[in-house]
Amino acid sequence: MFTQLLQLTANGLLLGAIYALNAMGLTLIFGVMEIINFAHGEFLMLAMYGAFFLNVWMGMGPYVAIVVVVPLFFVLGVAFQRLMIQPLLDSQEIAQIFATVGLSIVLSNGALFFFSADYQMVRTDYSLESLDLFGVYLGYTRIFAFAAVCMVALGLYLFMKRTYMGRAIRATAQDRRAAALMGVNVRRVYMITTGLGLACVGITGSVLSPIFSVFPSVGTQFGLIAFVVVVLGGMGNLAGAFFGGLIIGLVEAYSGFFLDPALKTVVYFVVFILILLVKPSGLFGSTVRENG
Amino acid sequence: MMQALGVKGLSGIGLLVALSPFWVGNPFYTDIIVTILYYAALSLAWNLVGGYAGQFSLGHTSFFGVGAYTSTLLFLNLDISPWFGMLAGGVLAAIMALLIFTPCFRLKGFYFCLVSIALAEVLRIIAVYWRGLTMGGVGLLLPVKPAWQNFLFESKYPYLIFALLLLLIMIGVTYWLGRSKLGYYLQAIREDESAAKAVGINVVRCKTIIMMISAFFTAVSGTFYAQYMMFIDPDIVFSMHMSIQVALFAIIGGVGTLAGPVLGAFLLVPLDAVMKGWLGTIYAGLGFVVYGAILIAVVMLMPDGIVKSAEAWMGRRRPKEIKEVEYLEDAVIPPPALEPPPGEILHVKGLCKSFGGLNAIYELDLSVRRGEIVGVIGPNGAGKTTLFSLISTFLKPDRGSVSFCGQDLGQMAPHSVCAMGLSRTFQVVRPFMHLSVLDNVATACLLRDPHVPRARERALEVLRFVGLGDQAHKPASSLTLPNRKRVELARALATRPSLILLDEVMAGLNPSEIRQIIELVRRISATGITLVVIEHVMKAIMSLSDRIVVINYGQKIAEGTPQEIVANPLVIEAYLGKETAHA
Amino acid sequence: MLEVSSLEVCYGDLVALSGLNLHVEQGRIVALLGSNGVGKTTLINTICGLFKPTKGSIVYQGTHLEREPAHRVVELGVVQVPEGRKLFPQMTVLENLQMGAYPPRARELAEESLDFVFGLLPRLKERTNQIAGTLSGGEQQMVALGRGLMARPRLLILDEPSLGLAPLVVQTIFETVRQVKETGITVLLVEQNVRQVLSFCDRAFVLENGCITLGGQGLELLDNPHVREAYLGM
Repeated sequence: MFTQLLQLTANGLLLGAIYALNAMGLTLIFGVMEIINFAHGEFLMLAMYGAFFLNVWMGMGPYVAIVVVVPLFFVLGVAFQRLMIQPLLDSQEIAQIFATVGLSIVLSNGALFFFSADYQMVRTDYSLESLDLFGVYLGYTRIFAFAAVCMVALGLYLFMKRTYMGRAIRATAQDRRAAALMGVNVRRVYMITTGLGLACVGITGSVLSPIFSVFPSVGTQFGLIAFVVVVLGGMGNLAGAFFGGLIIGLVEAYSGFFLDPALKTVVYFVVFILILLVKPSGLFGSTVRENG
Repeated sequence: MMQALGVKGLSGIGLLVALSPFWVGNPFYTDIIVTILYYAALSLAWNLVGGYAGQFSLGHTSFFGVGAYTSTLLFLNLDISPWFGMLAGGVLAAIMALLIFTPCFRLKGFYFCLVSIALAEVLRIIAVYWRGLTMGGVGLLLPVKPAWQNFLFESKYPYLIFALLLLLIMIGVTYWLGRSKLGYYLQAIREDESAAKAVGINVVRCKTIIMMISAFFTAVSGTFYAQYMMFIDPDIVFSMHMSIQVALFAIIGGVGTLAGPVLGAFLLVPLDAVMKGWLGTIYAGLGFVVYGAILIAVVMLMPDGIVKSAEAWMGRRRPKEIKEVEYLEDAVIPPPALEPPPGEILHVKGLCKSFGGLNAIYELDLSVRRGEIVGVIGPNGAGKTTLFSLISTFLKPDRGSVSFCGQDLGQMAPHSVCAMGLSRTFQVVRPFMHLSVLDNVATACLLRDPHVPRARERALEVLRFVGLGDQAHKPASSLTLPNRKRVELARALATRPSLILLDEVMAGLNPSEIRQIIELVRRISATGITLVVIEHVMKAIMSLSDRIVVINYGQKIAEGTPQEIVANPLVIEAYLGKETAHA
Repeated sequence: MLEVSSLEVCYGDLVALSGLNLHVEQGRIVALLGSNGVGKTTLINTICGLFKPTKGSIVYQGTHLEREPAHRVVELGVVQVPEGRKLFPQMTVLENLQMGAYPPRARELAEESLDFVFGLLPRLKERTNQIAGTLSGGEQQMVALGRGLMARPRLLILDEPSLGLAPLVVQTIFETVRQVKETGITVLLVEQNVRQVLSFCDRAFVLENGCITLGGQGLELLDNPHVREAYLGM
């Protein structure tokens, strides 16, 4: 029983780390621009397809693919900011919400058209192997994902704390106008932030590709989980997203075991709605001001 | 005007549709028409929330699915007629809306979106999981037992009639809303929530009511869908695609209009059918790619939708024929709605409020007697506006109490304070920009009289009183600053208050405009209304006030008649700095 | 050093400033006076590139500022310490100061500037790692001033630095401003605290209803009946 619980906890944490990384991309963009990217999950789907095709066509392993996918997604993020988010910043709320909703529809159905609805997966030699740690089995692909997440989280933390650009991003998030008065080029900060946000998605997609099958609507599920994590951790709070991801991973592992795997989604959505009702600023506080 | 035009157009379409099966006699076309009709109805139901309450739902299928499953399950398991099931589903959906969405209305808009998505997803999963009741993903099949009481028919024609009826009901509801108190209130909330609260509107309650109405009719459409298709499964009736489609129709046509959602359905449903026909199943996904692209293009390039854009275009070409109303100096305003007790009307004791370590208001006492004009002055940043926000309960104090007419305001919300007869204006004027001047004030009149035409009459009287009678039909956004300040005043007066807090109504005005406002404030005072006035224009406040209170660093540093205040060395010091500083 | 001529700024249909002329000489403290809502903050935000004027020109050391974005203006050496301080509340004092040194020109000198700021405002040295949002009002104003100095300004614009502060603290702030001037930085000071400002500025202008109505050498303005009337209603 004890080993079983340990196994569950390990599974939950390893899975939660992936959720955390995915959510960090979303929360970063929201924290700075206050725009919710409803196409977040679909970008993840694209990243997974990216890693998949790099594997099929060029024989690249998913971890090598990161080197290609991440710069590509950074550029994609910059373009996404320039073409869609920037014009939305001064728009009505309806545009701020539905433009990215529209994008998510285009991306998921475009993928359906081009890639068909089949489930695809990156297969590697180590996909099915596990590390045996005193009776607790940890899949290598998940360990790699976990390590990647921790590295990215640490890197982001140092970037935000130590560099001028990182500080400028935080400053812009806290007070856009004051940042401009300090000589910060706010538009450039926005582009870099969105680029970073999507780079996180790129990494997530790559490390996910040997773990989960990719199919056109896979983004819906991961996108929704990212929203849950972000709300749980506090909108715009990077550390919150990290711990929120781990919590949701654990919730999923335990509820899958003690209730029914089919109901795990229900459980964390209930958590989500409860958080919104009880403490909308999230467990770890947020940059969001409540509305009256 | 445009609404009336829309109604004529719609009834024409309705007639056309009702007769169409006789002309075409083709089940394929009939099916498309039925689809158009119920999608138009659904879209109108979505529009009640999206357009009028300004809350964008991405999970309206929650209600749709609840309606479909409730009636179907009642029919299959308990043999209850779907006609009753339809009502039961509607009521259930409305209760669900009340319980789950009411708390969201206190939060920013996107939380509502997220909760709506989550709810639809949870319901879908439950419907899949609970196989014992719902047959899970297999779905539920209605028996082929055509009978009137079973809401099942052999021919498609009765369905068409019912769909048409449903659409007409939704048109009726939307039309009614545009003319009702609730509609006026929702419009005001959408323009400016704080200003809406200041005229006594209970924001959360208004949004909840409209959400429940919307949920009810969406669920009714869900039942209709089940009866028409005779088959439901979780992935269809709780699908996110349908939620988005319904929103899309309204957005393309024009959110917040009557004709918009209907127009959207009439344009896009046939397009959808045609695309399905052309592209077939091989091109799965391509249809939705087009949908998504249209959605992006519309919200980014034409967020007001077709109807409003066309209206703006027509409005430019057609001169408006509105009778200008003459300016009446002798207009009278009704007395305060609630007779305040004689003597002290407002009592503030030991009030404290700090923001991030700064004391904005500290240990402040203030007493106002009925019928007085009390001036509040003090240097910039002294805490005057914060004081007003605390009194009108827009802000909650850290310590201390405010009582009005002997009643403690500690636990009250701004709208109930307004209903008690305490009204405020905002330093930075906040008229409902897109509404006419008359509607701005009529919205405030509705607090005391829910009858819209009467409220509009009253509003006109108030506008004449403040000297805006000739501007009544202009949009508030077209007014000059002095006139916007008058609208602000008129709106406060229209709630028939016993006490008004005036926050810098003279800032930015020229001397002759200031004289007019002083005159107006005197006339307001003469009707028996008590006034507390924040003002920077010293001359004005000195000549206007019976008594002046001086605030600095959040504390009251002096109080007395204008003559006493001018001579008070503390006041001079607060304004000009210490005499010794440059010695 | 700064020459503003026939400036007009509008918000939608509302004209906030019109036909405004202002001249600031190098090495001086110039005060801009005026009651609430006359457009003082609009003027300096326009100088700093946050608003675009509809008419007129702003020339700073031979460069036209009216079409430059805010971050370019800062790089040119025009730095604003905004009204209400506008610190980054969740950052530490040190991080706030470092944000001040964001312009590339100032980055190289950041170490040196930091010493200068700590020398000028020793209070901040004790508080380097405190979160800015938890400081008292006076300390926040000092951080804001320090942050502005970190940008290595040639023209420092202070918007109501005394707002909401106790008299003693205001004295300290003004004393610091005087020291700043001694180092050769030109100061444009927007204030309501008339008497105190007039006692130490070199020149003052009075702004009313969107244009300059009065200008003069500091103290002589104090005896001007127009000023007394505008501020005290006497």
